[in-house]
Amino acid sequence: MRNLLHDMNPSVKFIAVALSMMTIAFFFNPWTPLIFWMGVLLFQVFLSRLNWKVWALFMLPFTIGAFGYLWTTLLFGTETGGQIIWSFAGLDITAEQLETALSLSFRVLAFSTLSLMFAFTTDPVKFIMSLMQQLKLSPKLAYGIMVGYQFLPVMKDEFTQIQQAQRLRGAVEEKNALKRLLDMRRVLIPMLAGAVRKAERSAFAMEARGFTGEARTDYYQPIRIGRIDFWMSALFVLLLAASCLGGIWLS
Amino acid sequence: MPVHEPVFSLKNTHFRFPDDQENILKDLTFDIFPGERAVISGPSGCGKSTLLYLLNRLYPLNCDGILSGSIRLFGKRAEDYAPGEINHRVATVFQDPDSQFCMPTVEAELAFTLENLHVPFKEMESRITDVLSLTGLTPLRHAVIQSLSGGMKQRVATACALIMKPEVLLLDEPISHLDPLTAKQFIAWLDGLQKQFGLTIVAVEHRLDLWESFFGRDIQLDADGHILADQRFAPRASVKFPKRKTALQTDRSLQVSGLCTSVNGKSLLHPLSFSLQRGEVTVVAGPNGSGKSTLLKTLCGIYKSSGGTVESDGIGYVPQSPEYLFLTQRIKDEIAYSGSSSPKEIQDLMERLRLTDIQNAHPFAVSHGQKRRVAIAAMLADKRQVLLMDEPTSGQDAAALQALAQLIAERANEGISFLIVTHDMEFAAAVADFVLLIKDGSLTGKFVCEELWANEELLASHHLLAPKGVKLRAESFA
Repeated sequence: MRNLLHDMNPSVKFIAVALSMMTIAFFFNPWTPLIFWMGVLLFQVFLSRLNWKVWALFMLPFTIGAFGYLWTTLLFGTETGGQIIWSFAGLDITAEQLETALSLSFRVLAFSTLSLMFAFTTDPVKFIMSLMQQLKLSPKLAYGIMVGYQFLPVMKDEFTQIQQAQRLRGAVEEKNALKRLLDMRRVLIPMLAGAVRKAERSAFAMEARGFTGEARTDYYQPIRIGRIDFWMSALFVLLLAASCLGGIWLS
Repeated sequence: MPVHEPVFSLKNTHFRFPDDQENILKDLTFDIFPGERAVISGPSGCGKSTLLYLLNRLYPLNCDGILSGSIRLFGKRAEDYAPGEINHRVATVFQDPDSQFCMPTVEAELAFTLENLHVPFKEMESRITDVLSLTGLTPLRHAVIQSLSGGMKQRVATACALIMKPEVLLLDEPISHLDPLTAKQFIAWLDGLQKQFGLTIVAVEHRLDLWESFFGRDIQLDADGHILADQRFAPRASVKFPKRKTALQTDRSLQVSGLCTSVNGKSLLHPLSFSLQRGEVTVVAGPNGSGKSTLLKTLCGIYKSSGGTVESDGIGYVPQSPEYLFLTQRIKDEIAYSGSSSPKEIQDLMERLRLTDIQNAHPFAVSHGQKRRVAIAAMLADKRQVLLMDEPTSGQDAAALQALAQLIAERANEGISFLIVTHDMEFAAAVADFVLLIKDGSLTGKFVCEELWANEELLASHHLLAPKGVKLRAESFA
């Protein structure tokens, strides 16, 4: 059970997530995103092996953002009239205002949880391979991204090394944030010069092994669409329907 | 295929890059036959690698180069092949172990190669299993490539080449990033594979001493890109260095005691102590990944030490890529950057390091050797009297190595101390007073060169080989 979200075909999961987001975006009541958010949370609890500590850390900025939306909409939202439900220090908050505010912040929570669910349960390598196999992403682009993905840790190392080597020369770190940003180019130029050379070498190595960028006939590790994907998609559609209908019914 | 038909046949071939005025390769004519082991040698920048890329058809298409004369691959004109077609028969292993792979694991990388060749799914499993057992890499099948050592990465790259069942293997300085023992093992391994399959091997290499008698034929290019000689291969003596007189002075310039480092809780350097005197040149040696670079970076403060003390006359650091250090647009400004030397001192320094002629050039636009001289000058102008150099010998040809040895000798005579990380024991024998051996992050000890060369066991346990000059002398005495 707990592996279902991880074992789902990445492309199918991607489409399910994207469609859900697009659908939810059309509902302006607070209930739809709330139900949907709760549903996604339940999915994560029962169908995935999340590290909840990391998840909470990533959710923190989104939660703050959602809270911010709530307050700003309540305080500065355009007066729409209707019944005043709460008065405080000369500010009148109407029912309609509260509804918009809640709808916005639940939407932020629902979308961020959904995106994090995708990010935390999907292996990036498998995702790219699946995009190529199921959604016909061009192999040139797919393997290009793969090479870039392998380079990321190397580039990060190089960046700190150059920075520290330059500090050794007596390059002082500017206090002014803008100047510090400008100084970044001293680190970026040698790093990018190296990256261009590396990229060319990688391209040569790939071409020398017969990679021409044309579509492949067989895959060694085909990423398939199976029964899990069917049932999981059904589950997503069910949740989507429940939150849409529930939203309409409750508001 | 009849045996007498050449694999590669070049006739009056000229080649130049679109931005250049002059041809880089001039009037090349030679044939290479099946089963040959040929090496293309010559000084840096003579077009060796370019020639190799013409043979596997990466050039001229990838650089819009201008080619004249004829190149025939397996009897067919090179330009008549479709893209990727020739790469099934001619496989290549490149120089840099870090930028030859695009997949995370060994198995996926091998599969990538097979998918490129449109091998049917049913065959893939058996071909991967076969090539892994053939190359002795079966235990690494699911290993993450980025976590492997340089030597192992080169073997994986070779396995990826062999899985295509090629007739020819091209090698582009495949051992330049490996420590001597690993390089030797790689060569012996390659020797076995070649004998088993009768592969044709064409390699580009300028350090030929480690290859001993691996090759059968030697095609030498000169600095202009002409063929200088095409002859039977004769095992090459290593680079000759002039003997340096020691410049050791009595004052201490660096005192290290109990220095250790750990990164993210992992101990990279166990507490070690040693000292350097003024004018001393000491080489740091040990296997790939033993902590040599970590030692230098800790000494100069790039890595934080987790204990111990370092007292010195000011430590300067020259990384393997000297451009990492550069901060300004002109060499003159680069040297004056720290502001701790007077204009007269800077002038003097530039003259001694032969930088006066290029003082207005951009530091990124000069040659590698010049970049290193700029870096050294900048460090000296900042009154740093102990210089740490990380792998200055890697990928350098004979002329560059001799210039480097001379540069170090001159500075040592001025009382500068050097701590140099290198695998090149010929170079160490020529410039060093002492060798500092490191293994698994611990200091084995500091040895006088002559004593170390005599101790084969100690050398082997640190993946080193005694310099040839010393060995030959020892044999002639025996």
